[in-house]
Amino acid sequence: MGDPRIALGIVAAVVLATLAAATFSMRSIKMDAQQFTVGGRSFGSLLLWILLAGEIYTSFTFLGAAGWAYGKGAPAFYILCYGTIAYAISFFLVPEIWRVGRAKNLVTSADFFVAQYGSKALGGLVAFIGFVFLVPYVTLQLSGIALLLRIAGYGSIDATAAVGIAFAAITGFTYFGGLHATARASVVKDLLVIVAVIFAGIVLPIHFFGSPANVITRVLAQKPDWMTIGPATAPNGTIWFVSTVALTAMGFFMFPQSFAAAFSAKSPRAIRNNAIFLPFYQLLLLLVYFAGFTALLVVPGLKGPDADQSFMLVVQKYYPSWVLGFVAAAGTLAGLIPASGQILGAASLIAKNILVDYNIVRGDRAQTVATRVLVIVVAALAFGFWAIARTSLVGLLLIAYSGISQFFPGVVLSFSPRLKPHPIAVATGLIVGIAVLAAYAGTGAKTPFGLNSGMVALACNTVSLFVVDAFARRRVLRELVA
Amino acid sequence: MDDDETASQPTVRSYAFAVVPTLALTAGIPFANRVEPHIFGLPFLLAYIVLWIVATPLFMFAALRAMRIRG
Repeated sequence: MGDPRIALGIVAAVVLATLAAATFSMRSIKMDAQQFTVGGRSFGSLLLWILLAGEIYTSFTFLGAAGWAYGKGAPAFYILCYGTIAYAISFFLVPEIWRVGRAKNLVTSADFFVAQYGSKALGGLVAFIGFVFLVPYVTLQLSGIALLLRIAGYGSIDATAAVGIAFAAITGFTYFGGLHATARASVVKDLLVIVAVIFAGIVLPIHFFGSPANVITRVLAQKPDWMTIGPATAPNGTIWFVSTVALTAMGFFMFPQSFAAAFSAKSPRAIRNNAIFLPFYQLLLLLVYFAGFTALLVVPGLKGPDADQSFMLVVQKYYPSWVLGFVAAAGTLAGLIPASGQILGAASLIAKNILVDYNIVRGDRAQTVATRVLVIVVAALAFGFWAIARTSLVGLLLIAYSGISQFFPGVVLSFSPRLKPHPIAVATGLIVGIAVLAAYAGTGAKTPFGLNSGMVALACNTVSLFVVDAFARRRVLRELVA
Repeated sequence: MDDDETASQPTVRSYAFAVVPTLALTAGIPFANRVEPHIFGLPFLLAYIVLWIVATPLFMFAALRAMRIRG
């Protein structure tokens, strides 16, 4: 048995050193609301790359992808596909979003809707929905960190205490750092995560089975259907797979923190360069799958959300405490840093588009204070959601995506001079989409053809958008004539 | 600050380049849903996905080259 003091000590030391270095490196930057949330719009290709890539390598990638490879097999491959398509979409979409952001000095995703549709109420609705659906994403990071702390503690820390520590760490970091610290800490985090993923995805398979290819062969010998997706309409079958890839690819850049990242760019060129090369970064996921498959052979029998522990249990069982400490430290940073970006995105939505836009809070200083208070509120809600919803990390991610993707039609159509809808139509579409999601979540009903429920909601959203828009246009026309 | 990229815009050809990997990784998946043949030790489906990921930056670079100066 390993020593929890060594493993946990390393986690604490690495995390504190990274956060201290990041916070220290930006002491010279004067913090106003713009600096805090969009980094003063000064991020070039490299820093933007790190920020965007930092959002990709989260607890979800580190543990969730391996957990699904362990628990479900080929359906986990959807993660490889959607990221790649999302970058292709971002190549065209994000520079346009950036342009509006620069011209009108925007800070949040809801600001974008206000600017494009001239409706403060639509902005408030977008802010509220964005806020609500970021909570499960933050919960994902919290659960991931808690899981790592429990494993690094060799069972000496209970689940609630672990989540409590994770909560304190996330809140503290976000509160003091803002977006600058997030981007800077991402550099260290990415390096550590890459090393940890190479260890888990290459060293583990070689140690136990000689090579990753042998791992695949052995998994196939035990479970011949593990490397292919199930029949078309089956749960997690091909129709689910394709609809989930499409939905999540559309949702990828709709997250509030993605808008913040887009606004923080220096130029469209920085954005396009990233869009072209980020798919290569996705390939690290392949190693995460190998780690999950290796765990399936070495420590079989984990069920449901427990599968998220997969390869970490292998490291805990077969490697010295210090190795476990470093792997867990990398994973902890992979949760902390994206969580901070997400919390910041959610907090600034409410601060800017509800509190400031409706004159509840006045002045730049008050806005910064409000954003900081909201940081604590978001983290507390994520903590609450953790307590009531026990689901796998991928499950949490899919909840967040199904809600956030509902913004896609409103964002894309706003750029079309001919099709640009009435703000009431956009709002109706959003409300219908969220209602459909809530109905599926509440009743547990099956979707037609095994489609992802978010995709069904998105379809209802788009149809009602066009229907309401047709009515709104006619009325506006009639009023013009009269 | 306003480099030349700010003034350039995607063309129909840019979109066409981007659509290829997008379709390959969505509509194409059911047709690649097989284990055999293995490629580089990977089962066919996974190899298919990985190859398209490697190819996507090439398509997106082509999309970039196909942009024109806005004017």
